[in-house]
This record gives sequence, C-alpha cells and structure tokens, in this order.
Amino acid sequence: MAQEVCSLKAQLEEKEKEIAHLKNKLALLEKSNASVLEVQDKVTPLNPLTAKPALSNEDIMRYSRQLLLPELGVKGQLNLSGASVLIVGCGGLGCPLAQYLAAAGVGRLGLLDYDEVELSNLHRQVLHGEENQGQAKALSAARAVKRLNSTVECIPYHLQLSPKNALQLIQQYDIVADCSDNVPTRYLVNDACVLSGKPLVSASALRMEGQLTVYNYCGGPCYRCLYPLPPPPETVTNCSDGGVLGVVPGIMGCFQALEVLKIASGQASSCGQQLLMFDAQGFRFRPIRLRPKQADCAVCGESPSVTQLIDYEAFCGSAATDKCRKLNLLSKDQRITVQEYKSVVDNSGLHILLDVRPLVEVDICHLPFSLNIPLSSLEQRKSEDIQLLQQRIVQLKQQMAGDCQPPVYVICKLGNDSQKAVQVLEKMSGSELDNITVKDICGGLMAWATKIDTRFPQY
Amino acid sequence: MEKLSLPQVTVLYFARSAELTGLREEELVAVPTPISSGDLWALLLRKQPRLVALQSRVILAVRRQYVAIGNQRLSLQDGDEVAVVPPLSGG
Repeated sequence: MAQEVCSLKAQLEEKEKEIAHLKNKLALLEKSNASVLEVQDKVTPLNPLTAKPALSNEDIMRYSRQLLLPELGVKGQLNLSGASVLIVGCGGLGCPLAQYLAAAGVGRLGLLDYDEVELSNLHRQVLHGEENQGQAKALSAARAVKRLNSTVECIPYHLQLSPKNALQLIQQYDIVADCSDNVPTRYLVNDACVLSGKPLVSASALRMEGQLTVYNYCGGPCYRCLYPLPPPPETVTNCSDGGVLGVVPGIMGCFQALEVLKIASGQASSCGQQLLMFDAQGFRFRPIRLRPKQADCAVCGESPSVTQLIDYEAFCGSAATDKCRKLNLLSKDQRITVQEYKSVVDNSGLHILLDVRPLVEVDICHLPFSLNIPLSSLEQRKSEDIQLLQQRIVQLKQQMAGDCQPPVYVICKLGNDSQKAVQVLEKMSGSELDNITVKDICGGLMAWATKIDTRFPQY
Repeated sequence: MEKLSLPQVTVLYFARSAELTGLREEELVAVPTPISSGDLWALLLRKQPRLVALQSRVILAVRRQYVAIGNQRLSLQDGDEVAVVPPLSGG
C-alpha cells in the first residue's frame, strides 16, 4: 500500500514537471511570435517611443548589475527604455554596438545595412553566424539582438542610406551611430545629423587602428569641421583591401556603445570635443582635444552652404560602398583576359608572370610560376627588385629565338594594381629595363579563381 | 650661461600617414620655435614628402591638442608630441 502511494506521488511529480516545461515552451513561443521582425526596405513612420513609467520586477533583475551604479540608477535605466538609436552599418562596429545597447535595455534600435552576410565577414561581425550567410545583415543582426533581449524593439532596414531617405530616417531617432565603411556615407550621415540636430557617435577602424568621436554634440564640431574636404578616392583604403583585425572594430564598437549609453541615459558623453585614436599594434590610446564647431563650417557653421543633403558620391568621387573599385587605366591591347593567359600557359609560351601584390598576400596564395615584386617596390624603383626583374628578362631573351621583346604579364588580386604596374613598367622598358612587352591580366587572381581554376583560393 | 637649443619633438603617424612614411613615429630635432602651424606642416612635408597626399585632409595635434594648419603660433618644447591624424573610414 505505502509503496503504491509513493509511486503515484512520484508519477504525479513527473507529470507536473512536464506541464511546467510545456507552459514555459508555450510562453516563449508566444513571446517570440508577438515580436516578429519585419525587414524594412524603405523608411516608414514609426510610432512614438515613450519611456517606461517604472521598472518591472523582471527589469530590476535583468538590469540589477547596472542599476547598482549611481551613474546610471533607476532614472538612467528608464531613460534608456525611452531612447531610440539608429545604427548605420551592421558590420564590425555595428555588431558589438547593437549587442551592448540591446543588452543594456535601449528602447528601440534601428539596424541599417544594405549588404548580405558573407563568410569573410564572420571574423569581425560577431552577431552573424555561419547559417546567416546570404541573409540581409540587418535582419541577421536584429534576430541575434532579439535573442539577447526580447524587450528591445528592433527595426531592421535592408536598404542603402541615401540623400533621399536619410533625413526622414534620422529624424525618427534620438541618437545616430555611424558604423559605416565608406567616405560618402560618413559625410551623408554627418550632414543629416547636423540638419536634424542629432548627436552622432562615430567610430571607424582599419587594419590595427581605430578612431572615435562624438560629433554635433554640445557645441562640439561636426565631421566636416574636422575634414572639410573628402580624401581623394585613390588614397582611401577599405577593409577588403587593407584588412582589419576583427577585435579592433570590436573594441571601437564597444567604445561607441559606451558613449551612446551615456548620452541615452542622460549622462553627458565625455567624447564631445575629443578624437580618440587607438593604435592596437603599439597599444597606444591618444585622446586629442578638438576645437569647438567652426563658424565657417559648410554645414554646421553660421552661414552654411549645405542646407539640404547633396550627392555624396559625386562630392567624394567614390561609391557609397566598401567594395573594391574597378580601375580602367589601360587600353584594350594592353590587357589580356585570364582565358587568354591560360592559353599562353597551355601553349608553353615563354613569358614572365609578375605578381605585384604585397608579400603578405602572396603568402595567402599565388600561381607557382610567378615572380613577386610588389607594386610599391616598382613605384619606388627598389634597386634589388629592378635588378631581379632585369635578370629574368635577360634570361628569357636568351631562351627566345630572334630579337623579339620578352612578354611580361602582370597580375594582382583584382586587376587594379596590375594596371598601375603596367604603366610603371612601360615607362621603365627600354631605359631602366630591357625592352619588354607588358600586359595586364584583367580581373587578376580572383578572375583566375572564378573562371579558370575553381580550386584556387579566393579572399 | 644657459645653453640655447632648439627643441626635439616626437612625431606620431596614424592611419594613412603611417603607411605613407613607413613609420609609426620619429624624432624631429632642432625644430625652430615659435613656429606657425603651417610652417610645422611644411617642415614635416620636407622630411616626409609623401605626406603631400594628405594635404588639407589631415588633422595635426600638438601636445594632444588640435591645431589648424595655418597661422596658429606654436611654442614647442623638448619632448612635445605632434600627431598626424588622417581620417579612417573603414568599419
């Protein structure tokens, strides 16, 4: 008898656990259904966001470790719940930024990116996973952020910020964070923030360096006060050309989160008239005290010439993307396609294949028969490199019958630097070097990898 | 008698300026002082001609303070730090 009672009690307990588990599961599902993420492909008006009147018990528990800070406290937390932040760019800076803002309880996050997730993003864009490849970055980031804190309202914008939509979008947010990857977008975001009176928390990163400034905030300068003229496009290096160590934008994005949280919670940012530079290699931080906003600034000055958004791609002379530009410096007869080059190789045509990429890229992958002399060495006429090339030309001439000019085919990653190298080599041909026929291989090694040898690595 | 000597300053190169010069920092000896910020930039250009690519698109900071390249008069002292800061745009 007693044994039967025990057994029944145990069975009941088991069933009760099962019911509790099912109830939990249902509650979670209902919660996630209630907050379905809709990707926006255009800017639409948003409902006004109001701060919570008070913190719930769940809020208190969730945010307890930051509520304990006198710098934040309940007032600051309530301010965060009523704040909206637009994140322009869900990449290496935007990912950690969105993550910390959501975790801290910012009320509304706009997540903007026109791009899709690629494998080469994952080393730094830490909200996206392998399974998100090909997905809109804005949506992938919003989903990841929702998992972290379902109470934050996330609005993914899968669109390109442009002079047509920027003002309408930015006016709807309290704070803007520039996490973009190109110069035209940086000027566009700056001007739109000045015209709509929004603080702009801006960070950037490349290779082993980062910069952080809060623009258009409490009498401080705007981006144009510091940089009235855009850099010539050919001097701008992007992450796909120059590389970046993932943790560097990670650190800068975290700094951005810090300044956004200070402003959104009602404390002041301490970065308003400062430019913080971070050199990750030497582990040097250098804050630079900036001057106030400039009376003669074209957009935030006393008599501005920019009173509405302009064509920023024309202003900067480059496209609003960090994808590599395609240069066109040579005539058709100075270039050959990868297919034509393949037939030269197949027919055992005597030639020199000159790879002009930096050594670090040659170490990643190269064609086995290439001679490597970086473009910079050619441009600087480094004597040992020029001698090496001259030796190879002389050797080739000896192997070739008659007195024809040895052909030199120049290759790089995408076919831009190789065109520059052809121009340099043509100048040297017949003077610093023996006479040669120089041709550029269109599209470089990446064209070789897609069109000739699919086993060749792409990067 | 006190010896009169011109100050030695440390120039820090960031971003593109470090690429162009191939240096993260260098010492600049016997810099005339006082000097205008425009003349200081001209001095840097003589030392590192490739910096001309950054002309009018760069920030100069002396003792961690922004200076406009132009007529601003600077009194330099031994050990002062001059930073060359072009914008970074990657992210």
